[in-house]
Amino acid sequence: MSDVTTPPAVLRLDAVSKSFGSNRAVRGVSLSIQPGQVIGLIGENGAGKSTLLKILSGNYRHDEGTIAVNGREVQFRGPADALRAGIGVVHQEQSLFTNLTIAENIEVNTPIGRGGVNRLGLYNWRRLYADAAQALDLIGSHLNPKTRVSDLSFVDRQMVEIARAIRVSAASHTTPLVILDEPTAILERTETAILEREISKLRDIGSVIFVSHRLDEVMRICDRVVVMRDGELIADRSVDDVTEEELFRLMVGRETHAAVRNRRSIEPATKPVISIQDLTRAGSYTDVSIDAYPGRVLAILGTSGSGREAVARAIFGAEGFDSGSVSIAGYSGRPSIKKAVALGVGYVPAERKTEGMVGEMPADQNITLTHPGSAAIGPFELPRRRLSLARLWFEKLDIRPREPEHMLQDFSGGNQQKVVLAKWLNSSDLKALVLDHPLRGLDPGAAETVNAQIRSVCDDGTAIILIPDTIDEALDIADDIVVMRDGRISGVFDLGHDNPATLDLLERML
Amino acid sequence: MVHNALSKQSAVGIDTTAIRIRESVIERRARFRGLAEPLSLLMALAVLIVVFSLLNERFLTTSNFQNVLTQSAIPLIVAVGATLVILLGSIDLSVEGVMGATGMTWILLSANSRGGVDLGPWAWVIALGVALVLGVASGLIFTALKVPSFIVTLGMWYVGLGIATMLYGTDLLPRLEDEGLKGWTSRISFGLPNSFWVALLVIGLGILVLRSTRIGRVTLAIGNSETIVRSAGLPAFRVKVAVFAIAALLSGLGGILATVQLDIGSPTVGSGVLFIVIPAVVIGGTHLGGGKGGILRTVLGVFLLTILNNGLILSGVESSYQSAVTGAILVAAIVFAAWSQRDRLRVAK
Repeated sequence: MSDVTTPPAVLRLDAVSKSFGSNRAVRGVSLSIQPGQVIGLIGENGAGKSTLLKILSGNYRHDEGTIAVNGREVQFRGPADALRAGIGVVHQEQSLFTNLTIAENIEVNTPIGRGGVNRLGLYNWRRLYADAAQALDLIGSHLNPKTRVSDLSFVDRQMVEIARAIRVSAASHTTPLVILDEPTAILERTETAILEREISKLRDIGSVIFVSHRLDEVMRICDRVVVMRDGELIADRSVDDVTEEELFRLMVGRETHAAVRNRRSIEPATKPVISIQDLTRAGSYTDVSIDAYPGRVLAILGTSGSGREAVARAIFGAEGFDSGSVSIAGYSGRPSIKKAVALGVGYVPAERKTEGMVGEMPADQNITLTHPGSAAIGPFELPRRRLSLARLWFEKLDIRPREPEHMLQDFSGGNQQKVVLAKWLNSSDLKALVLDHPLRGLDPGAAETVNAQIRSVCDDGTAIILIPDTIDEALDIADDIVVMRDGRISGVFDLGHDNPATLDLLERML
Repeated sequence: MVHNALSKQSAVGIDTTAIRIRESVIERRARFRGLAEPLSLLMALAVLIVVFSLLNERFLTTSNFQNVLTQSAIPLIVAVGATLVILLGSIDLSVEGVMGATGMTWILLSANSRGGVDLGPWAWVIALGVALVLGVASGLIFTALKVPSFIVTLGMWYVGLGIATMLYGTDLLPRLEDEGLKGWTSRISFGLPNSFWVALLVIGLGILVLRSTRIGRVTLAIGNSETIVRSAGLPAFRVKVAVFAIAALLSGLGGILATVQLDIGSPTVGSGVLFIVIPAVVIGGTHLGGGKGGILRTVLGVFLLTILNNGLILSGVESSYQSAVTGAILVAAIVFAAWSQRDRLRVAK
């Protein structure tokens, strides 16, 4: 940056637009990024962020406007072109080959895809490993490049993706532009902190576009924040003169903050809906006892090795345990998913796409899949009734677009999650709901709707067991908090009379 | 502010030794797994050898050893191609048809009892050309028209058989005339049967292709996720067609060798090979879903099945029971191999 003349922008967009049929997903977006800048890109699900990123990664072609990289206008005909121009994208869904080594994943995309291949067309493994180690070193990671990606934790995989993105740019002799699409959406807090530290290092190497739903994160990491809404870029601010509340308002277009929950302690006489006693599964959790009461939200906090997800799955019968007991509404026989559902338990899994929904089925059929409710007469389901029932849920949970006859896989993540939730809410007798990371990947607007719905079913007398993404989420919505560490319970709080600070909780988690 | 307190805490709270420890655990686990999987196969092989040598003293002799190697040579050659196809996440059922068509083409163009032309080495080129055409056709139909490989190659199996039958016509059996070629496959050079030397060469080349060439690495990548391959700008189309072509060429080579071994041309020269090859790949530990596995494992799988067959015969198991026994052992082995790969909800399709 000691140049007298200012260097050209790493990336310059001029009135870029993209339509799908009549739907204008991106409308006249103009944006310019200087070397060494970290730009935050925020917006609700469906605001056009993903489409914009796909244009930059060469997956979509824009209809109008121009894109210039390092001062030169470019036309991307495919992902390979974008890579060659020095734009590396770390996608929201992981895009690593899990069966290959770290080194290959980093090198596989180097320009013309010839990383480490010698003149005979054979791989030069030694060079491949050396180059990959160098790329990892640049971002301060000391992973062994010979490790297979399937052996890595999520945060390490993100590091590999970032290393790859940088490697691609470095090999084409351009200032790297790394685009991170919600890199922290599915990370635990501690992992997020590691990743944040690495992102701030990227500033010395190149520029970054950081897409996230977590506003606090954006404020910490970025120099500038741009906000998208309805396909348009509506604000471009420096982080110094904007507040989190203002960003939220810009993004969602309305003021929202749920009223502070009015909490009470557990009434002495109430019986728990779900009661687990001394539950143990070797290598996962030990002597876990938890009671979940009707009309209360119980949040289980813990890091990724705490075993809290496995406990939640055991309650629903989706995973076995070695000893102890799970009793649901008085029944404490052999647990199974079938039994749990029959007893009125619902489960929203973290792996939404594989366990929570049938993507190749219309949204309305997904809703009536488990509990047909009023859509069925005896064993027969009536399509018209099903559709009108689905319309009610679409209205109630603000699922967009309001087209329940469309395949569920065509909806955005937040709206899919609402459909999954509706599937359980459609039960006439929902006694308990187990929510495994229900807000994962949801934008703040959708998260508010889901949370509001959780509160309302809870107030109707359902017991909620929640595995939250963040401590804030737990403090926001829970009545009881159980903290787990290394498979054991390390703290229990009844928020009716306890008032734990974030640090208290964090201390018990680590 | 809650957020600020949290961020400061985590910035201080990162303990790099914990990360180092995790990295070393990752490495150790990977190294252990790399050893453990082939080890269990080798152990199964050892158990079989011990059991059969106790049952019959003729089992553990040089001549039987060479016999087993000759029997395994053709399945090994074909299985190298099958492994590549399965690593893509596809399957090639056309093996026996391609073997028939290639073998028949070759013998009719070589010196045989029906007379006709003797093209010498050109017979090899033309016969393997037939295999290549069948393979490229399968590959193109599969890739360009997006028909499941299962269906395409099932059809190609019968196309191959049809070609072989048409060439065969209604004439007398074409019998091999060249004395130098007769019995060549089971003749011993440097201690090993000739056909096994060919198999070793093919295995070596296969490992080289899979480990160190673009085709091989992209094959593994496609098996893992074709979506990612495409969005990374890698040549998915070309590689898929190439792999089907390679597999057909190897089936063709196997067909010619089988014809030499049989001494006569027959459309069904490859009969029974598919039922060794596909199970061998799976028992070896290559995932039917693609992406994971390797050629050496398949080699172990082929040996396991050939030794099993050979041992059963020597132990005097009646031939009518043999296929039932082989089949049952096969199912058991596959259940065992697939046990660790069940998903969390124990779903199988």
